[in-house]
Amino acid sequence: MALKNLTNWLLWAGLMAAIIALLGWGARPNMLGLFIASGLAVGSLYALGGIGIVVLYRATGVLNFASGAAGAAGAMTAWQLVAWGWWPPLSWAACILVALVLTLAYGRLIAPQLAWRDPVVKAVATLGYALILLGLVSFLWIDEPRSITLPTDDVGVRLLGLRITATRLIVFAASILVVVGIWLFLSRTRVGLQMRALANDRSLAALLGIPILRVETIAWGIAGLMAGFTGLMFANLIRLEPVVITFMVIPSIAAAICGRLESLLLVLLGGLSMGVIENLLTLDPTLRGVRPIAPFVIAALVLLWYQRGARLTFGGRD
Amino acid sequence: MDPRLFRITPSGGWGLALAALAFVFLPMVSTSYWLSVFTSAACFTLALAGVAFMYARLGMVSLTQVGLMGVGGWVALRLNHAYDFPFEVNLILAATVTMICGWLLALPALRMRGLYLALVTLMAAGGLEIVFATFQFPNGGEGFWGVQTGSGEAFRRPWLAQSPENYLRYVIVCAVLGFLLIELHRRLQPGRAWALIRRSEAAAIAAGVNVTLYKTWAFGISGLLGGAAGALLAGSLGLLDDGTFRASESVMLFALAVVGGARHWLGVVIAAALYKVLPALLNLWGVDADLAFVIFGAGLLHAVITAPDGIAGQILGALRKKGGRNAAG
Amino acid sequence: MTDFREPGQPSTGTQDAGRRATDSPAPAQPGPAPRQANRGGVRMRLSKVLGAVSALATLTLAGQAMAQAQCGMNTGQAATGEPIIVGGIYGDAAPGDWSSSTDSAAAYFRCVNANGGIHGRPVDYRVANDQWNPEAAAQAAALLVNDTPTVAMVGNGSFIEMAVNAATYEAAGIMVMASACAISECFETPNIVSTNQGPLASNLGAAQYAQEELGAQHIACIGLNIPNNGIWSCGAVNDFMASRGGQGTTVLLNPGAPDVNSALLEAMASGADTILINQPAGLAIAILNAAREQDLRDQFNWIAPTPLYDLSVPAALGEYWDGKVYVNAELAPLDMNGPDALNWVAVLDAFGNPSDPRDTFGQAGYLSARFFTQALLAMDPAQVGDRAAVSAAIRGISGYTSDLLCGPYYVGEADFHMPNRAGRMVRIVNGGFELVRDCYEYDSPYFAPHIALEAQMGLN
Repeated sequence: MALKNLTNWLLWAGLMAAIIALLGWGARPNMLGLFIASGLAVGSLYALGGIGIVVLYRATGVLNFASGAAGAAGAMTAWQLVAWGWWPPLSWAACILVALVLTLAYGRLIAPQLAWRDPVVKAVATLGYALILLGLVSFLWIDEPRSITLPTDDVGVRLLGLRITATRLIVFAASILVVVGIWLFLSRTRVGLQMRALANDRSLAALLGIPILRVETIAWGIAGLMAGFTGLMFANLIRLEPVVITFMVIPSIAAAICGRLESLLLVLLGGLSMGVIENLLTLDPTLRGVRPIAPFVIAALVLLWYQRGARLTFGGRD
Repeated sequence: MDPRLFRITPSGGWGLALAALAFVFLPMVSTSYWLSVFTSAACFTLALAGVAFMYARLGMVSLTQVGLMGVGGWVALRLNHAYDFPFEVNLILAATVTMICGWLLALPALRMRGLYLALVTLMAAGGLEIVFATFQFPNGGEGFWGVQTGSGEAFRRPWLAQSPENYLRYVIVCAVLGFLLIELHRRLQPGRAWALIRRSEAAAIAAGVNVTLYKTWAFGISGLLGGAAGALLAGSLGLLDDGTFRASESVMLFALAVVGGARHWLGVVIAAALYKVLPALLNLWGVDADLAFVIFGAGLLHAVITAPDGIAGQILGALRKKGGRNAAG
Repeated sequence: MTDFREPGQPSTGTQDAGRRATDSPAPAQPGPAPRQANRGGVRMRLSKVLGAVSALATLTLAGQAMAQAQCGMNTGQAATGEPIIVGGIYGDAAPGDWSSSTDSAAAYFRCVNANGGIHGRPVDYRVANDQWNPEAAAQAAALLVNDTPTVAMVGNGSFIEMAVNAATYEAAGIMVMASACAISECFETPNIVSTNQGPLASNLGAAQYAQEELGAQHIACIGLNIPNNGIWSCGAVNDFMASRGGQGTTVLLNPGAPDVNSALLEAMASGADTILINQPAGLAIAILNAAREQDLRDQFNWIAPTPLYDLSVPAALGEYWDGKVYVNAELAPLDMNGPDALNWVAVLDAFGNPSDPRDTFGQAGYLSARFFTQALLAMDPAQVGDRAAVSAAIRGISGYTSDLLCGPYYVGEADFHMPNRAGRMVRIVNGGFELVRDCYEYDSPYFAPHIALEAQMGLN
């Protein structure tokens, strides 16, 4: 078992090294460094989105298509409050609060009614919610250029020739903190234990006396907080356009797939790898134009790799 | 050949009757605007049939059907601008290429189930979206991708169906043929194999059914129908744009298949109507496009929550209850 | 210590929360008018409309006794008689709202109807939304061109409908006097003519200014990877630079890509000394933000076509970019109060909605409607209801002028139309814009057929 894991790790490391060498062949070292650093920057965004999705999926079995939309709603609220002259830190708090409320609303009011449907239908229902949120946000705020600036945008360090702002470092640090925090939460706390039981088998957990609604509320609450934070970061680091932020959920799912929808560390590494490979493809003249496809191809290949040698199950769940 | 193969069930009879009515009357009463809308809806009916039957008969989720439509449309456009084949040849070739794509998608995905299968198709949809956005659709240019600035010659429609009215009729006929193809499969060996696989894959293997073959075959049929739908859409518009084939549209298509009711042909027609006719209606009434999103999403949520068998299931259930009461009373 | 920049705040400090603002409008600030940007590109409405309009109105009232809207026959009497049906298609859905051209055209036509109409007949202006969706665009054209006896299309503003419908327009023999165009079909098909310049001309203008004034030798053009938009316009810039002994590189960006960094790095890696941001405003701001992160401001010249000429842009960019970004303007800047510019505001104030944007595309829509009316007024009154006659009249338009345009407007019998091919350059300063070069004609091999056509029509 440990050997199989070790093989996987070595395979990943080897592949990444090979790809970097192949794409970077002939490029000036400082350009290569720039692209790698830039790739880590965008990859951390994929990872952040993916982590939010996996956290909720592990607790409730719902793949939340609406996390991007809730984040977009929060980000637009934050922009609006700043435009009205509010103190900026309050607006950031409002962003997270709005996303939290929207996600909790779904989690408490709608998700329980779908608890017995199969996972794909649950995911499709969150898509319906995403459309509602996106429609409302687009209706309330006319499309025009906007941006959110944070004080951390002006402070930065240099990595491999690229200037990394404090905001990007925060995203990276937050991803790591969440990975560690969730791991500790799920393995060391009582609520975490209940959450794992719930994810494993909802009806059995109910039979055991686990307070289903309370635990689920906590799970959706954590997801909402993450959605709000992710939305704010996307708004600052990508652009403040509701549609763009909403549909960042698809590359985020790609990152989530790299973690098999369960291991947050693998989601983080997967997201970072995707970002690096996508950016390095800029150096290749044929694949340069189609490089945004990198996350999807990688996710599909990873999924296939995980499923190799899988036996068909006889009855029960997969 | 067993005569029962051609038996028309009551449900099938109603379906054919509806198709016949649409064939005769729809083009006559439609303005140019509605002709365009209904043709589009008919194309998507064909694609939806592919998604719905896979979900209903096999429990397999395909979140990439609109992407496959794009593949079919791309092939049809490229062939149209590169060679002088008649439309039907382009249609068959496009459908065949897309069917092969469906196989390619199926083979590695076979071991996956439920959500993972859906996710792999979602990744495929995302990938196709990028490919279409990068390489665009052929419009008469040179080279493999066939794209030039500005449009080229017009798209050649079928000889029988040059006018918009006749083209709508042509698409309706193709949609009916698609449904009949699925029904044919159901009545022959693939249908029995699919039913057994849905019930229990283990039992199917034990019974000697080649599960891999039949699952791949189902994906292929789904691809075939999607590709044909894409080619017909290309014929309707004369050109295609990558905005129509986004990953979100594929997910939406599946969602609507569930909402309409995947088990029944009525559900597929309802889903196509929701996808194309409802927005056209809202647009005509001047409802803000953003609000249309909200209405759509709310309807989707409501239908998913309250109607596990879709809207068609609710309608048929109501009809059955009434029929039962009539029979009893 | 950095101060937190509050984006979207104009220099007057008035705020408008958006189209659906429920709070009362901000009080007008008298005094010098804020520099209001002409808008272009893939977004639309100003959210500071009320503040801007009231300030402008104050200036207008202060400047002239009573700015009366002048349109059509100016009789002051409402037109009766059989309506002349005119269509318009705009795009309003995510990612942008391009309805300001049709809004302004609608206001102008209402003004015309209140002033005797066209030969006594009112204009029935009907618009449809293409929702940024090619199928909806085809349906809109089916509705307006095939189902309705429209005589012409006026004020079209869309990113996609011209490509989808060019063949339909040609087959139906209807002319389209568009106003907000961003793709090649708008300028290279027989039946569509626009009052705006479009990406090719606007980028050429920016490149020419950079080559002549900023000493640019190698321009990296970051464009969208859409053949009839980014590839078309960047290609023309490359040809232009080659003709001037310089060099041009095209860097393509996928509009859906979350990461603009790699495109910026690619542009840097090409060895260019000037970066031309051929993007809609949202993406352009993202690229400039990425450049700011890398502190690249002083390492390159930064130029852009019209989409960045927009009031909310300087505020969204912040002080870092003051005086460093040069933007091409397709129409006259809003603070140049020529007669047409003032009339446009008067028409909108009197006959438009308060929420109608006062931006470049609005001006372009007003111009299209004005020229259309002028052409029809010159026609035989008995023929204004006939599509073929109206199309012929539109094709015959030659030498119409306006202070909003740098050169004469014309249509002509040709497979290409780009009458607006001279503009101005502005520079982003202090949260607004400053004019750095007044009207100049763009000089590029692309315009040879246009110059020949103009000579033929006696316009040179």
